[in-house]
Amino acid sequence: MPPNERAEKQAAAQQAVDILHEIATILNCHLDRRTLSICISMIENGVNPEALANVIKELRKQGQEAQLESATAAAAIAGASTRRR
Amino acid sequence: MANNQRNRVSNAIDSLITHLVPAGPHDDEPSVQERHDACFDLVRNIFERPGSPAISSDVNHASDLIKRKLIQSNPSQALRFSNLYTRLLSLPVLNQKWAILYLLYQLSDSPDPNEPPPLSPPKPPPSQQAALRPAEAERRSRALRASRASTAVPTPEEEVVQDAFAPGGLKKLPTEKPKRAQPAAAEERLQAQPPVDGTPRKAARDVSIKSTLLADNSNEFEPSEMGLLRDLPFTLQGLSSTTLPFAKDTVLKLPPTLPPPIVSLLHTLAEPSLLYRGLAFFVKSPAKGLLGQSLRAAINNELRSYLTLVATLEGQIRRALSALDETAPRGGIGKAGVTLKRCVVWTREATMGLRLMSLIAEESNTKHGGQLISMIHGFSTSHGDPVVAAFAERLLADVTRPFYDILRRWIYDGELSDPHLEFFVREQSPNDEDRKESKAKGQASVWNSKYEVVDAMVPSIITADFAQKVFLIGKSLNFIRHSCGDSQWVDAYSKTSSKQLCYGDTATLEAWIDEAYKTTMRRLMHLMSNRFHLFDHLQALKNYILLGQGDFIALLMESLAANLDRPAFAQYRHTLTAQLEHAIRGSNAQYDSEEVLRRLDARMLQLSHGDIGWDCFTLEYKIDAPVDVVVTEWGNRQYLKVFNFLWRVKRVEFALSSTWRKCMTGARGVLQTSDEQVLQTWKSTRGVLAEMVHFVGQLQYYILFEVIESSWTELQNNIRKEDCTLDDLITEHTKYLTAITHKGLLGARRRQFHDALKDQARDPADPASSATTEDRNSYMVQLSELLRTMLAYRDCVDGLYSWSLSDFTRRQEADAVHLMHRNKKAKLSNPNPSATAAAAGLDMDDPFTTSAGGAGSLRSELPALQERLGQLGASFKARLQILLGDLAYQPDVDMRFLGVSMNFNDVYQPVKRKRPAAAAAAAGGGSTAAQGQGQAAATANTSRA
Repeated sequence: MPPNERAEKQAAAQQAVDILHEIATILNCHLDRRTLSICISMIENGVNPEALANVIKELRKQGQEAQLESATAAAAIAGASTRRR
Repeated sequence: MANNQRNRVSNAIDSLITHLVPAGPHDDEPSVQERHDACFDLVRNIFERPGSPAISSDVNHASDLIKRKLIQSNPSQALRFSNLYTRLLSLPVLNQKWAILYLLYQLSDSPDPNEPPPLSPPKPPPSQQAALRPAEAERRSRALRASRASTAVPTPEEEVVQDAFAPGGLKKLPTEKPKRAQPAAAEERLQAQPPVDGTPRKAARDVSIKSTLLADNSNEFEPSEMGLLRDLPFTLQGLSSTTLPFAKDTVLKLPPTLPPPIVSLLHTLAEPSLLYRGLAFFVKSPAKGLLGQSLRAAINNELRSYLTLVATLEGQIRRALSALDETAPRGGIGKAGVTLKRCVVWTREATMGLRLMSLIAEESNTKHGGQLISMIHGFSTSHGDPVVAAFAERLLADVTRPFYDILRRWIYDGELSDPHLEFFVREQSPNDEDRKESKAKGQASVWNSKYEVVDAMVPSIITADFAQKVFLIGKSLNFIRHSCGDSQWVDAYSKTSSKQLCYGDTATLEAWIDEAYKTTMRRLMHLMSNRFHLFDHLQALKNYILLGQGDFIALLMESLAANLDRPAFAQYRHTLTAQLEHAIRGSNAQYDSEEVLRRLDARMLQLSHGDIGWDCFTLEYKIDAPVDVVVTEWGNRQYLKVFNFLWRVKRVEFALSSTWRKCMTGARGVLQTSDEQVLQTWKSTRGVLAEMVHFVGQLQYYILFEVIESSWTELQNNIRKEDCTLDDLITEHTKYLTAITHKGLLGARRRQFHDALKDQARDPADPASSATTEDRNSYMVQLSELLRTMLAYRDCVDGLYSWSLSDFTRRQEADAVHLMHRNKKAKLSNPNPSATAAAAGLDMDDPFTTSAGGAGSLRSELPALQERLGQLGASFKARLQILLGDLAYQPDVDMRFLGVSMNFNDVYQPVKRKRPAAAAAAAGGGSTAAQGQGQAAATANTSRA
């Protein structure tokens, strides 16, 4: 693959990601560019979009749970420290 | 290759997991790994599941979905999306654009992952729980218990949160929500690193808690929202269902167990249901007229579109209900996107329409025909809400259809096909009060008594002017068809120019109607002048009835004079008609058209005892069917009135001039006498006779030239105009007749300044008495008195003439006898010169004359004659002076002029008639103002005198 062609393709991909990101913003998808590009590559590799949507929702839920856990842990630590004080 | 792909996918999954589920700072390596693995499994599981087959791999489909969503929620962004989309399509790199778009569509409006997750109620921090008021806490725990009882999912709280953030919820606060969410999220992230203090995060949690609580609290009613939604389509169609039965026609029974918010929602939803029920009933009820029917049809159409809306709604509800997760709390309705609130929003516009329609339906019960249209038109023009106006406008297009059908039939066929009396033109009912009255006056005719405009029924979509035009068009067509017998033309006309009229384009409609108006009017006038010779008839009426044709009238009078002097019962129709025929043949009238001449007829009026032929004779001009709309029965009567008056004047003139002629010829022969007294009598008589001739001449001149001819010219000018209609013609002709009768001193009441004042002062008191006083003083009465006086005078003059004649013959005889005597004497003795002198003088006291007794009687007649002549002459003069006095104060210039021309050299002293003292008292008693005016008038009088 000649290098200039490759660069061209990359630029086009970049553009596509730009456009799609903008659409995602309009639609309130809360997808950042990285997630979006991962999704694009997955879909280009033949993943079912509906399933992927479910996956993303599911993973977000997990992420929130994890955050919550860490937060409670932090709160517990903070509480403990105040009580200690 | 496949392997490669799978590898790539799993790599991507890995990165996705690490990206979306970040490891907390306090988590240790194994737990992170563990979670990562769990996530990976989960993802795998989801991917293994068979995807829904419904998704079509069409790029347009996905974009359409997005576009529709955007238009619903945020129209301004839709355009931006379209731009982006076209740019995306032009990019060569991606193969699965639709899939990406579909993914985005699926993820759209998803909750922000950075938002703090709601606190799970089982594990809230103790400080938070303490902060809650006890009651609230209790309720919340109850709610929790209930929710946990109904659902056994591991993470019910998550669902609840998503419910609270359901699209409906987000849309309501499109700007506020992210704003509130964003700072909270930022703080969260900030706080996440140094977990020192919990206070800022507590605020964020409060929000979450509240929404959780809200979501939980709304959960607790029976029947559930799901059940209500299931039954809602039926309710909206006005059908009873188990949860929402209709108790009566106008009562919807709500289940008593519902909480107030839901009840209020259902109240809102009950409105269209009840309105629909009422309207459906109204549509099925029998209509009173065509417009009522069309109104029902139009409303039915609108109801059909309402039902379409309900059907769509039902489809949405069914889809949502089938997609529902039965196990979720509140049935997971929020997620499905169809809630009672939504239904309220969706049916809102339809409710407005239904409300307006039921208002119209209600009002239509009392309104009828054109009023109905006016009412709906009122909504469309004067209602402030543009939605209502547009709705009424749309309704109007359907409702007015029968009206325009009737209108079309009316202006193109001239037929009134209006079985329910809804049009603004109506056939007059024969027992109408007005109609009877006008019939009694003789003004009724086919033209103006067959149809009438009902002002109340003129719909406001057409102006009054326009309605009048429409009325005239139809009336003319109808008249042409039925009275003029020209239905072929009407048929041809309606075939060629008939157009479909409908509501909306008012300008075109007006143009059409104007055109129709012009065509019909032109045709009608054409028929009137060419086929029915209207103008010829008018001319003939003027010539014969108004004595315009001088030679004819003179000849007629001459030939009839001898006949008419006889009593009325000795007049025979055949002699009259024969004389009429003779007059026609002998004058220029013979060149008039046959059409005109055969209508001319001479006959006797109803005779009363003692009348002579002159009083009863009348000429008549017969007018038949279509023309009699112009020359009505009333008009005929006016013509006759004028004819009779003119005929009398003419007769007096004729009598006076024949007497005058006799006197003049006699003056050279038989009237020559040497008696001073007789000569004096004759001189004064001739003077009075000349006065009378002058008077009659002036009167005739005035009526024939000043009145009739000038009115005739005016009439000609007016009816020869280009755009003259039959109505104009009728009014002009009536005006013409009124002018003639008024100025011709026939109809006018003698109306003095005082009388007018008096009438104003006590107008409503007793109009009858004032009318009678006026009648007594009318010119008509004065003139007939004058004419009678003149006739009597003329009789007297004839008497004087015959006395003079007999006197003359007696003198001749006396002369002859004297001559004989003288001859005898001459034979017997010498001639006596003194005797001849005596014979040349008067022979009255000749004791020898044989006719001495007769001479005495003749002699005694002269003073009686003198006295009578003097009396009649004085009375004539007095009456004339009164007439002149009245004429001098006429408002009409022409009538004043008559007075001037009669009295041009101030021979007469016009007498200003004094008002009776009693009347003055009455007027004075009436009101002080009138008194003041009366006094002013009186002083004016005296000063004038």
